[in-house]
Amino acid sequence: METVLFNLIWFLPLLAVLVCVPIPSTQIKTIKTIHVATESLILLLVGYLVYSMYTASGTPANSAAAPLLLHYFTDIPWLSMFNAHYIVGADALNILLLFLTAVIVWTGILVSWNIKGNQKVYFALIQLLATSVYGVFMSFDLVLFFVFYEMEALCMYLMIAGYGSGRKDYGGKKLTLTLALGSSMILATLFGFYFEGGIQSWSIVELSKVTLPMDFQMWAFPLLFMGFAVSSSLFPFHFWSPDGHSAAPTAVSMLAAGVMMKMGAYGCLRVAMFLMPEAAKIWLPYVVLLLIFNVVVGPFIAIRHKDLKYITAYSSISHLGLIFLGLAALTPVGLRGATLQMISHGFLTGLFFATIGMIYERTHTRDITQMGGIMRKMPFLGVGFVIAGFAGLGLPGFSGFIAESTIFIGAFSCESTWVRIVTILAILSITTTAVYILQTANRMLHGEMPAKYESLTDGSFREKLVIVILVLCLLFIGIFPTWISEFLDQSIAPIFENISRANITAIGG
Amino acid sequence: MFESILLPDLLLLAFPFIVIGSRLFCDFRSAFPWRVANIGFILIFIMLNMIPLASGEGHFFIFNWRLDDFGVLMREVFMVSAILGIWLSKDYFEHGADGKPQMHQIAEYIGAIAFATFGAFTVVSACDLLTFFLGLEIATIPMYALTAWNKKDQMGSEAATKYILMGSVATAFELFGFSYLYGFSGSLFFNDIASAVATNSTSPLLWVSILFLFSGIGFKLTLFPFYTWAPDVYEGAPTPVTAVLSVTSKATAIAFLAVLVFGPLAAVQEQMSPLIALLAATTLLVGNLGALKQTRLRRFMAYSSISQAGYIMIALLGPAEIGKSAIVYYMFIYAVANYLAFFVFGIIGHHREETFASLRGLSKQNPALAIALAIAMFSLAGIPPLAGFFGKFHLFFAGATTGHYFLVAFAVINNVLALFYYIQLIKSAWIDEPEGTLSSLRLNRRQRLIIIMLSIAVVALGFVPFLSNNIFAGFTF
Repeated sequence: METVLFNLIWFLPLLAVLVCVPIPSTQIKTIKTIHVATESLILLLVGYLVYSMYTASGTPANSAAAPLLLHYFTDIPWLSMFNAHYIVGADALNILLLFLTAVIVWTGILVSWNIKGNQKVYFALIQLLATSVYGVFMSFDLVLFFVFYEMEALCMYLMIAGYGSGRKDYGGKKLTLTLALGSSMILATLFGFYFEGGIQSWSIVELSKVTLPMDFQMWAFPLLFMGFAVSSSLFPFHFWSPDGHSAAPTAVSMLAAGVMMKMGAYGCLRVAMFLMPEAAKIWLPYVVLLLIFNVVVGPFIAIRHKDLKYITAYSSISHLGLIFLGLAALTPVGLRGATLQMISHGFLTGLFFATIGMIYERTHTRDITQMGGIMRKMPFLGVGFVIAGFAGLGLPGFSGFIAESTIFIGAFSCESTWVRIVTILAILSITTTAVYILQTANRMLHGEMPAKYESLTDGSFREKLVIVILVLCLLFIGIFPTWISEFLDQSIAPIFENISRANITAIGG
Repeated sequence: MFESILLPDLLLLAFPFIVIGSRLFCDFRSAFPWRVANIGFILIFIMLNMIPLASGEGHFFIFNWRLDDFGVLMREVFMVSAILGIWLSKDYFEHGADGKPQMHQIAEYIGAIAFATFGAFTVVSACDLLTFFLGLEIATIPMYALTAWNKKDQMGSEAATKYILMGSVATAFELFGFSYLYGFSGSLFFNDIASAVATNSTSPLLWVSILFLFSGIGFKLTLFPFYTWAPDVYEGAPTPVTAVLSVTSKATAIAFLAVLVFGPLAAVQEQMSPLIALLAATTLLVGNLGALKQTRLRRFMAYSSISQAGYIMIALLGPAEIGKSAIVYYMFIYAVANYLAFFVFGIIGHHREETFASLRGLSKQNPALAIALAIAMFSLAGIPPLAGFFGKFHLFFAGATTGHYFLVAFAVINNVLALFYYIQLIKSAWIDEPEGTLSSLRLNRRQRLIIIMLSIAVVALGFVPFLSNNIFAGFTF
């Protein structure tokens, strides 16, 4: 029963789109209601599944999926020509990422209630995007995974270029093409898994049991890892993110930064590191070199920017660098920190972009030098923004603190001196983060208010609801961290086991 | 048994005469021949579908006509192309388009398409060089005529002249290659050639012949460096003819290569693979680079189809079953997506010029058409879950089976380049504001029906396993 419900997650948004096709665009109210109802249903569904999986923690998961602790495991033959199967399932990490996605999509739809342009097409595209993201976090077959993973490119460009602001065509193209480059790097290596693995299977579960030949791993790992890292904006592939986010409409920024950028990090962990642990051990120290840019230079660039969305984009870049720090440390605590950061940063950046979008809708500018004193006119939105900022700089009580400190502990416990030095640099860079966040909040919210802002209003009920939900999620992780950490550890254990196995074979061979 | 299997071929052979003959019973401008053609083509397509796909070696008829799974499936591709081709053509016989006057003589036009299709049938059925060559010629010569069908259009005549000159040179190359192959093996029959190739695979005579064969067919398949005629001919020919050219003619050429590479030359496939890989890589790169700066839609589609030819070549590197099924599947998908694009261009072209600029404002004026265009373009670019992605995945899979990871990686990264120019086109339709007021776009019932059907096909044929599993089943049993 729950397995059926689980399989509905990616299907329901598609169904909503199909249902809306015959409704004429004049009846936009009905269409919006259908979409919100669908997403609410999915949110409830995922919430229930999180609960039921958490309560079922002790019981053994599906034995067909061992060594992974997968629930709701489904395996149906799909394309017989290359033996692709429809394999979906979820462990703690997946189901929490699904929950994150459901929240962000739901809030995203609410945020874009009054978007300009053809709303019918817009909401259909958001639902398609949601399908693709749900699918990525559910699938355990590489072909299926890739299909969902690249589906995003289809919606992204149309949404940014059609409904964005500023240099929307440029930003949209830059984002889509860079992500497509990443996908193509992934696709180029996927065939190797099938043929070099020796078992002619695309299943992540099956492939994790075999050791791929080293000469394949050595060239495929960097290509695959960097391919995924493109969508998580790891240096040198970070350049799409500021332009893309600044051009995108609010909901797309939320989805892109909140969820899609996690897809990359998730892929790095689930596919690249899990299936090629031997090469991971060799290559990941070089990744640490790359993320110095993200973590240390990113915040400095954010200080110099005046556009709110650019600032947030660079802040995302630096936070995602921390995820990679956690991954590259290759310790259980580091991995736990990385996964925590994925979830925490999703809510955080969702809140960031949501408040920025709401403020932009009113002020019609995102330049912080043009703004001032708007706290007096819209206290609710202002507070929402400040909370996002504080959570971002790792204030205790919010999820950011838990995630980041776990990453730092995990990374510092890594034996390599090099990783430790980078960890110290990363810890120091929190100061830089504080500088740009406080500076932004100060310039924007306080001081002289331009006269044209006299007539501005605070958030409506719909907007307040979005902010409250996201803040609650941030607080919940921040105040009850043990719950979520222990839950996540269940899904990290098998991954770490695979990585430790690599150690033994490396010494033995 | 043979009769029922041969019935589609016989019917198609008689068909041009039936259609042209039907002119005797109706008015000059009547749509009667078109209706007859529709019934006939769809009947042939249904009959082809009823042939069971479990024939292994295939059935032989007389001594030079063989019907195997690849043949039957490619026949279905050709018929799909022919049916869609005449549907697309219909409007061009009713009024002018893209600044060109109206075309005449629909019956003869359909007859020419039927002849070309029969030539394509011959190519996939042949088992000796002579029939093989005849098939290729029957498939090509009507195309020359079709290119110049619009007599009042000078561009069309110029294109046809260019096409004939280039095509005859290509034919000469092929004949020369065939003559060496005959001289090398002492026989015209594929079986004898195959055994001769297997015993003496390093003979210079054989390799000179292979080189000439590839050069010859390179013209027809628009491979680098023989692709230069394609943009001019595609641009000059009437739009429906361009569509037929880019599907039927390309499918014939790739079927020709598949028959050769997996048939008589199977023993040297591995030695040929550097040549095939080089042709594939350069072709898709050149096609992609050429498409970047185009402003006319048909010229753009020409370069796009050049790069598609490069992708298809990758399948020739794989083992026979996987390679052939990848080619068949890809050609199905390519035909459907390509025709969808041409239908949209056609509708635009009836009211405006066929350029990128005329697409502006399409998403506001007719959202359904803009969505169909986006589906077609994303499918040609190979974005999942659209069918084009699965088609390309089949091709890459075939290439990767024999370990050509580097070529696959190159092709995949080239896809980003392709995505850029397809997005460029989508941008014109979705983002750009129109200049001045737009003339209205009216779709008749036929156009609306076909665009909806093709859009659904492009979306669903990929992830719904029906088509690919059926094709694959045909090759494994």
